[in-house]
Amino acid sequence: MQYFLQLVISGIVVGSIYALAALGFVLIYKASRVINFAHGQYIAIGAFSAYFFATGPKLPFVVSAFLALVLTAFLGFLTERIFLKKLVGQPIISVIMVTIGLASVLDGLMHLTPFGASNYTFPKFLPQGGVNLLGLQLDYAQLLAVAFTVLFLVLFSLFFQRSTLGIAMRAVADDQMASLSLGVSVEKMFALAWAAAGLTAAASGLVVGTIAGLNLGALTSIGLKVFPAVILGGLDSISGAVVGGLLIGVLEKLAEGYLDALVPGGGTSYVFPFVILLVVLWFKPHGLFGTEEIERV
Amino acid sequence: MRNLWAQTGNYRTNYQQDTTIFASYREVVSLAVLLLGLLALPQFLSRSNVYVLDLILVYGIAVLGLNITTGYAGLINIGQAAFMGVGAYTAALLAPNLPFLLAIPLGGLVAAGVGAVVGIPSLRVKHLYLALATLAFQEIFVWTVGHAPLLKQGGAVEVPTGSFLGYAVGFRNHYHFWYYVILVFLVILAVAWRNLLRTRYGRALIAVRDNDRAADAMGMDPGRTKLMAFALGAFYAGIAGGIYAYLARAVVIEDFMLASSVKFLAMAIVGGLGTLVGSFLGPAFMQLLDLNMETLSNFIRSLGFNTSGVDIASALKPLTFGLVIVLFLMFEPRGLYNWWRLIRSYFRTWPFKY
Repeated sequence: MQYFLQLVISGIVVGSIYALAALGFVLIYKASRVINFAHGQYIAIGAFSAYFFATGPKLPFVVSAFLALVLTAFLGFLTERIFLKKLVGQPIISVIMVTIGLASVLDGLMHLTPFGASNYTFPKFLPQGGVNLLGLQLDYAQLLAVAFTVLFLVLFSLFFQRSTLGIAMRAVADDQMASLSLGVSVEKMFALAWAAAGLTAAASGLVVGTIAGLNLGALTSIGLKVFPAVILGGLDSISGAVVGGLLIGVLEKLAEGYLDALVPGGGTSYVFPFVILLVVLWFKPHGLFGTEEIERV
Repeated sequence: MRNLWAQTGNYRTNYQQDTTIFASYREVVSLAVLLLGLLALPQFLSRSNVYVLDLILVYGIAVLGLNITTGYAGLINIGQAAFMGVGAYTAALLAPNLPFLLAIPLGGLVAAGVGAVVGIPSLRVKHLYLALATLAFQEIFVWTVGHAPLLKQGGAVEVPTGSFLGYAVGFRNHYHFWYYVILVFLVILAVAWRNLLRTRYGRALIAVRDNDRAADAMGMDPGRTKLMAFALGAFYAGIAGGIYAYLARAVVIEDFMLASSVKFLAMAIVGGLGTLVGSFLGPAFMQLLDLNMETLSNFIRSLGFNTSGVDIASALKPLTFGLVIVLFLMFEPRGLYNWWRLIRSYFRTWPFKY
C-alpha cells in the first residue's frame, strides 16, 4: 500500500507537468484546430532561457523564471503571426508539417548554443530536504511543482471564466462565425492562444527543470508525451487536458512500478502512455471529455 | 489530326485513346532514355556515390508508399519508418533461409498486415486522430524492438548477402549489385503505383480523401478503403525496408525511429504530395541537403569556429531540414514536382509560349 501510494504521488508530480503542457496544447487546438508538434521545443526553450537568465546576468531565480515565461509566450505569439497565419485554410497535413518543421528548426537553433549537448541544473533556490506526508517522503521541489501547477491552473480557469479576453477566446473556440459577427477578432484570439500555449509550455519546462534538471532530449520528449494525455482527456477539452495529464502521469508511474520487473530491460514508463493512446483511439476515440463529432449529410 | 510525336495538349477523343498510358511517342522515348540512363549511371559513379543513389531510390520507394496513404488517401502517417522497420526485420530474419527475392516481398506483406492493423482506428476517426495513432505505433514499435532479444534489443541484426545466380556479391560490387535489384523493384512498384489510379480501388482512395460521405453514398466503403490505403502504403515501406536491410548488411533500430518517419513526410512534401516524380525528387533533394550540410559543417569547423559543447553538424542538419519544410510549405506547397511540371511544359511547347 505504501509502495502504491508512493507511486501515485510521484505520478501526480509527473502528471502535473503533463497537465500543464497539455493545457497549452489544447488551447491551440481548441482555438485553431492546429496540432502543435513543436510543443516540446517550447518547453525546452522556456527551461533553458530561465537557466540562461539565472546564470548569465545572475538574476534572482524568480525574476529569470518570469522572464522565461514572457519570452516563450512572445515566441508562441510570433510563431502564429509569422507561420500559422499564412496557412489558414490549408490542408491539415501542411499545418502539421509546418509545426514539425518548426520543431526541427528550433532544435537546430538550440544545438547552436551550448545547451544542446550536456545536462544542466537550475541554481539552488530551495532548501534541502522535504516534508513527510502520511509517511511518504516529498521533496520541496516536487511540492513546489504541484503547487505551481495548481496555481497556474487556477489562474487560467479564472482567466477563462472572468476576463473578457478569456471569454472571447472561449467564444472563438466554440463558434468562429458567431464570435466574428459579435465583434471578436478571431485572428487576435488565435495569436493569444499561441501566446498562452507558449506560457504554459515554459511553465512546464520550469517545473521539469526544477525536478529533474535540464536536458534537451528529455525536455523535448515531453512534447510527445502530451499526445496520450490530450487524447485520453479529449482533444478539445481544457479540463480533459488536466485530468488526462494527471492520469497519464499516474499510469506511467504505476507501469514503471509494477510492470518493469516483468519486462526484461524495463522502461515501460516510456511506452505505456502510447499503448493507452492506441487503446483509447480504438475504443473511445474522443477521449473522456472530448466532444464527439457527429456528421450528418 | 493526332500527331503522335508532337502534342501540345490532350487530344484524346474516344475511350480507346483514353485508356492508353502514353499520350505520345515522345513520352515512350523519353521514358526509355531515362531507363537506359539509370541502367548505365553506376558505371560513371564512384562506389560511395552509388551508395547515395541506392539510398535515394530506397527512400523513394518508401515515399511512394507514403504518397498512397498520405498523398492519395489523405491519411497522415507519422509511422512510415516503423513500417519500413517491420519489413527490414522480417527480411533480416528470413535472409539466412530464403533467397532475397522471396524475403523482400514477404517483408512487404508482413508490413502490409501490420499497416492494416494500425489503420483500424480509421474505421471510426479521421484526420488528426489517425496521425496520432500512427505516431503511437511508431513509438511502440521502437520500444518493442528495443526489448526483443530475438532482434538483439535494437542492435545490429546481420543480413547475409551471398550470391545470386552464381554471381558472387562481395565487398566491391555490393552497392552496384543492389542498385540493379532496387531498380527492378522500383520499376515494378512505380508502374503499379501509376496504374493504381486507373483501378477502381485507386479512384476510391481519392474519392474518400476528397469527401468520404459522398464516397459512402456512391457505394464505396470509406473504412475499408482507408484500411487498404494503410496496407498498401505499408507494403511499399516494407519492400523498401527489406531492400534497405540487405543494402546496409545489418538492421539497426536507429534507422527506423520517429525522425526517419518525419524525414519521409518531409521528402513527400518537398517532392510534391501524390506525385510519382516528386517521390524521387524529394528524397534526392533531402538526401543531398543532408550530405552537403555534413560537408558544410566540416568546412566551418576547419575555419576554426570551434566552440566547446557545440556540434555544428547536429545543429545545421535539423536547422536546414526544418527550414526547407517550412519554406516549401509556405512558398511552394506543390513541391519540386511543380518546378518539374513548369520546365516540362516549357519545353513541350517550345519555341512558343503556349
